[in-house]
Amino acid sequence: MLTLTVNGTQHSIDVEADTPLLWVLRDELQLTGTKFGCGAGLCGACTVLLEGKPVRSCLMPASAVDGKSITTIEGLSKDKSHPVQRAWIAESVPQCGYCQSGMILAAAALLATNPRPSDADIDMAITNVCRCGTYNHVRRAIHRAAESQA
Amino acid sequence: MPESRRLELPNISRRKFVNVAVAAGALGGLALSIKLPAQERAGWRGVARPPRDPGAFLQISEDDAITIISPAVEMGQGGHTSMSIIIMEELGGRWDRLHVVDAAAAGIYDNPMFGQQSTVGSFSVRGWYTELRRIGAAARMMLVAAAARRWHVPEHECTVADSEIVHARSGRRCSFGSVARLAAKMRVPQQPELKPTGEFRVIGHSPPRVDIRDKVDGSARYGIDVVLPNMLYAAVRTCPTHGGRLKSFDDSACRSVAGFEKTVPLPDGVIVIARSYWQARKALERLRTDFDPGRLAGLTSEKVSARLHQGFDEPGTLARNDGDAEAALARAATKLEAVYEVPYLAHACMEPMNCTARVTDEGCEVWCGTQSPQAAQAGAAQVLGIPTSRVKVNTQYLGGGFGRRGQADFVTQAVTAAKATGGRPVKLIWTREEDIQHDWYRPAAAIRFRGGLDAAGRLVALDCKVVTASAPAFGRPGGPPFYTEGISTATYRIPNFRVTGVDQNLGIRFGFWRSVNDSHNPFMLEGFIDELARAAKQDPYLFRRAMLQDERPDARRQLALLDLLAAKAGWQHPPAGHAFGITAFTAFGSFVGAVAEVSMQDQIVNLHRVILGIDCGVAVDPDNIAAQCEGGMVFGLTAALRGEITLENGAVTQSNFHDYPMLQLVEMPRVDCHIVPSAAPPGGVGEPSTATIAPALANAIYAASDLRLRSLPMIRHQLGFRAVRT
Repeated sequence: MLTLTVNGTQHSIDVEADTPLLWVLRDELQLTGTKFGCGAGLCGACTVLLEGKPVRSCLMPASAVDGKSITTIEGLSKDKSHPVQRAWIAESVPQCGYCQSGMILAAAALLATNPRPSDADIDMAITNVCRCGTYNHVRRAIHRAAESQA
Repeated sequence: MPESRRLELPNISRRKFVNVAVAAGALGGLALSIKLPAQERAGWRGVARPPRDPGAFLQISEDDAITIISPAVEMGQGGHTSMSIIIMEELGGRWDRLHVVDAAAAGIYDNPMFGQQSTVGSFSVRGWYTELRRIGAAARMMLVAAAARRWHVPEHECTVADSEIVHARSGRRCSFGSVARLAAKMRVPQQPELKPTGEFRVIGHSPPRVDIRDKVDGSARYGIDVVLPNMLYAAVRTCPTHGGRLKSFDDSACRSVAGFEKTVPLPDGVIVIARSYWQARKALERLRTDFDPGRLAGLTSEKVSARLHQGFDEPGTLARNDGDAEAALARAATKLEAVYEVPYLAHACMEPMNCTARVTDEGCEVWCGTQSPQAAQAGAAQVLGIPTSRVKVNTQYLGGGFGRRGQADFVTQAVTAAKATGGRPVKLIWTREEDIQHDWYRPAAAIRFRGGLDAAGRLVALDCKVVTASAPAFGRPGGPPFYTEGISTATYRIPNFRVTGVDQNLGIRFGFWRSVNDSHNPFMLEGFIDELARAAKQDPYLFRRAMLQDERPDARRQLALLDLLAAKAGWQHPPAGHAFGITAFTAFGSFVGAVAEVSMQDQIVNLHRVILGIDCGVAVDPDNIAAQCEGGMVFGLTAALRGEITLENGAVTQSNFHDYPMLQLVEMPRVDCHIVPSAAPPGGVGEPSTATIAPALANAIYAASDLRLRSLPMIRHQLGFRAVRT
């Protein structure tokens, strides 16, 4: 039995220990905002915050998150009010949107530790793949979110 | 989602235009009775015919909520928003009361230009622009007629704005919702009055995209996110060799995996079904399969390339033949010959292929992101041997489409699985490896060019032999070879111009890949044009200008675009140490082009800036057009730099993003996008820019280094890449 806190709510879940956190979130908790992209930690679509740090949930076995606290896109704010979400709306970042849950969480994690990131900081922190090519919008939205928090 | 064993088959009809909150639940259902109007079925496509039934495209409820039923799916290209902009412009409704749903599979949603209900070919806005305006205008006139009848005033004294009808003379006003029920009983105007374009308040003004808010909090529902009661999960393995067949399989080891339910064989693979997706994946790992690789077992990329080159000596099919290219080449003062080549490419949509299906005695219901609801419906019906009328397609958001999701192979697999589960729904999800290795690939292609310049350095003869690993039926059976488009349709005035197509269908699946033929043809032609300009000792921009000096509208528009790009780049004065490459051409009914600004440092290409330009006629949603141009360019840049699907033993070598890598944020160049103001009918937007970056970049690299890229990807030429944003 796995115990974990997701978006502030504690859950006890009966899954095999090797089940990736991604599928625990999606199939056991129906938190489908976290996306499956590659299953190999390469694309970042499955990014969630584990104790506040961005991790790729497709490679994170359930056994490694027992007793831990996780934030998914559904838990970033109640009403799309997180500065990153507001900036994302203002800059109209998403196209297909499939990578954006992971992008937004990676951006939120960056701003949590570095409130005014430079372009170089953003280059280092945002390694999520966007096939629609929204990268310049992502960069602008991160700067906007940073300014809104200043 | 309520558990329901019965298919609901709502009859979307004009009655629903009315209407009322109760009916809203029936939206998006199967529309059995909805067919194209008889006049259109008979081929009457002009504006002289009545508009299509407004009730199939919009509903207004008594609380003033407006529901647009979008005939274009949403795969990131902004289809839901663009369709809504066009309708709302004429309707006069409030944008903040708008809600968009996907259309069911039904003939009334066939694209008026393309003739199918498929969101492909950058056809949505250009196909629907006039028809959706007419539908919106018809609905507005029906609402006005209802209000006028209620007030006993003449219709022409009423005006519409912000979801209200106003009778200024008497000071009366009412909301759309308050007269919607009565409006639905009004006659549909046969010739709706369209707004003068000068009065547009929505078209050209980019209201907020309708799908953004759902895409920032995880609530957007893609195919992969569908959850149904009692649902099972499935994973699949198909024969790595294309065209191979399943000989036998052994699932005894799968049975020890918790949650394992069963296996279902396919002609070319095996589906594993379990109670959770991870359990299905674990069982799949233990599945033993024996495949007959079939006739492609020995196929390699080297053999593909050799077959393409053999095609240069085959007669082929003529696609264009102006003047006498052979004779003019013989007379030419300077002759130039070059061969260009590109490999297969995969789509790599971020959302791997997936579909959820439920099969019951009544029929079948599928949920998926699809670019072609009718293809999904037909695929499901074929698997089950039932009429399409018994298949309901529930289109979801697409996590990327790019042409891949026009196919229905993942749908037929899911339906095959669901046929074996006694009515329990099954969600089948491909691994990324399946997705990369069982795509419908952009075909490998090669062109042999022979060009002739006269003594004054003018291009007097051009002969192009276009060879692709596709088939005549690819795109447009019967006409000139489809895959020569982008060469045979070149706008340049070339007195002796011959284009011949040769297809070498090698049995590897091929399909539409964002920008289709333009994903290779402009790279090749615009590269060779650049070579000719250099041979003529002319500036590549001015050389192109000279071939666009005539009064044809196409030539004028392409020239204007070329001039715009050169002006925005500061063509004559590149920054010290930097060089420009330029390209402009026509694609998908638009004129498009780019300037790439690069510098070379040892073997590294520094990309400083990409200037994009598009003349797409009326710019329906300028913000989205810029986003599509930029994103489409990224799609093309990824391919130009490192996109390559290779074959060994008839199987795709690449498997995931480590060996089929995508452009990353750190590599994203500065992009300036310029949209030419135009009143011309809308052209395509989603695909044209994809084709621009390869030729612009290759021409810039030549200008900076004298290195001519005649094949892609660039990584094959031992060149590094870096975006330098300064």
